[in-house]
Amino acid sequence: MRGLNTALGAAGLAAFLALGEVVPRVGIVKEAYFPPTSRIASALWDELTDGAFWSALGDTLTGWALGLAIAVGAGIVAGVLLSVVPHLREATASTVEFLRPIPSVALIPLAVLLYGTELRSVLLLVVYASFWQILIQVLYGVQDVDPVAEETARSYGLGTWARVRHVLWPSALPYVMTGVRLAAAVALILTITAELVIGAPGLGATIAVAQSSQAVPEMYALIVVTGLLGLLINVGARTVERRALAWHQSVRGEVAV
Amino acid sequence: MRRLLVGLAAGTVLVAASACGSSGNGASDQNSSSTGTTTVKVGVIPIVDVAPLYLGQKEGFFSKHGLKLSMTLAQGGAAIVPGVVSGQFQFGFSNMTSLMLAQSNDVPVKAIANGVASTGVSGKDFGALVVKKGSTLKSAKELEDKKVAVNTLKNINETAVRESVRKAGGDPDKVKFVELAFDQMPAALDKGQIDAAMAVEPALTTMLNQGAQQIAWPLVDVAPNLTVAMYFTSTAYEAKNPDVVKKFQEATAESLAYADAHPDEVRQIVATYTKVPASVLAKVILPKWPADPNRSSIEALEKLSETDSLFKKTPDLTTLLP
Repeated sequence: MRGLNTALGAAGLAAFLALGEVVPRVGIVKEAYFPPTSRIASALWDELTDGAFWSALGDTLTGWALGLAIAVGAGIVAGVLLSVVPHLREATASTVEFLRPIPSVALIPLAVLLYGTELRSVLLLVVYASFWQILIQVLYGVQDVDPVAEETARSYGLGTWARVRHVLWPSALPYVMTGVRLAAAVALILTITAELVIGAPGLGATIAVAQSSQAVPEMYALIVVTGLLGLLINVGARTVERRALAWHQSVRGEVAV
Repeated sequence: MRRLLVGLAAGTVLVAASACGSSGNGASDQNSSSTGTTTVKVGVIPIVDVAPLYLGQKEGFFSKHGLKLSMTLAQGGAAIVPGVVSGQFQFGFSNMTSLMLAQSNDVPVKAIANGVASTGVSGKDFGALVVKKGSTLKSAKELEDKKVAVNTLKNINETAVRESVRKAGGDPDKVKFVELAFDQMPAALDKGQIDAAMAVEPALTTMLNQGAQQIAWPLVDVAPNLTVAMYFTSTAYEAKNPDVVKKFQEATAESLAYADAHPDEVRQIVATYTKVPASVLAKVILPKWPADPNRSSIEALEKLSETDSLFKKTPDLTTLLP
């Protein structure tokens, strides 16, 4: 079953790449703006042998990983705190609902003013976008705690910390993991966006340089790299999720994906 | 729980490992090191125009004056002026109109060294007004009621194109200007979305390779040997660090002269910080890099900008220029 899926997936990708080769070659689209797959592939190879590419990749991964780590940490702490202290949640609900819909990219001018093209301006956008994904999932997760389990824990005299650890956290974890998976993708999008628009060092900035240099195949090659990065991050996030929730019925009962 | 901890630990390692990326130039490098070298951050755009700084750094003109440049590629000039004013960059690169606009809006900027100049030669400038291959348009006068792309509206290139139209006997107010990034101009012109484009290198060479025709040289029309852009700093930084500014001016002047005399080395160094394809780079028309700004050309640009009512109040060139 799994082998068949892989084969079908590979066939689909091969067909797509072949289409990308043929369409510009026969002139349906102009080669100058949409280079065939083979030219993109050779540009990609040139990139891989270039040290500047790897440091740009390092910058992008740094922005992504740091931003995501801060957002996950802050989101979990804030989410649990807001859930455990009822009045706090009521007091912050309107603020959260006001801030949450602000698109991160709208903060680009602010980031430029505060931090210019530094890593911090990337982090500002990444953390802002990813934080809400985590926070909201934590809040939902905490709401999902079985009241009977909670009451039982109380009647056994468990303290607040013990209840957070043994009752609240395991119930909320599947939600948190969903939040982390969503946030990981969002964080990558915002990292690349910040680099592309602001010019902070990284893959996005390299794409912008390729664009302004009229280096079309290189530009596509770098875009392919960001796509692959997104794919890897998604696979990685799913793996972490499965490992962390190995005990949970949603994963335990799962046949191979 | 234990598995989660393992996951978190793995995540931390990933963060630590990827933190070894390149952007390790933190706040510390603004200070002088023990050897007496001052590192300054310069906000530049990834274009041919700033090649002298890269070349000067490589040839040791800056280290000779005790300076080390940390170049930051900003995407367009919009991020450079706020960056310099807020102190993230000590120096920046900007076109003259933007600098005059900033000053007329009371943004505390001070131009300190020449940046780049037009070659002043019609037919051989790094910026030109081009039309599509086979277009019937032959002169700037015919652009009335036509769509002309400029990279930024109400800025140096629009002023220049308006002057070309005026000089050719047309009415610049009748031209329909649209804003389009240089790199998007070749495709837009090709598809007929625009009738003409004010392009600079390397987009210009790309378009000429596709058969586009040059019909006017707006930067030449503004003034002979127009100073197109300059390096600038904030008035606060200039007041506090006159010695650093002086060193930057001297080293930049040497770098400009060197770049002007060594076009082959310019083309080589451009390939290190842009991705301009070698085939295009070989054909690109290089700008001029005189050591000093051409004051009368800047005055001409100011007058034209005033005619087109770009400024709220007249910029004070005496305080703006070095």
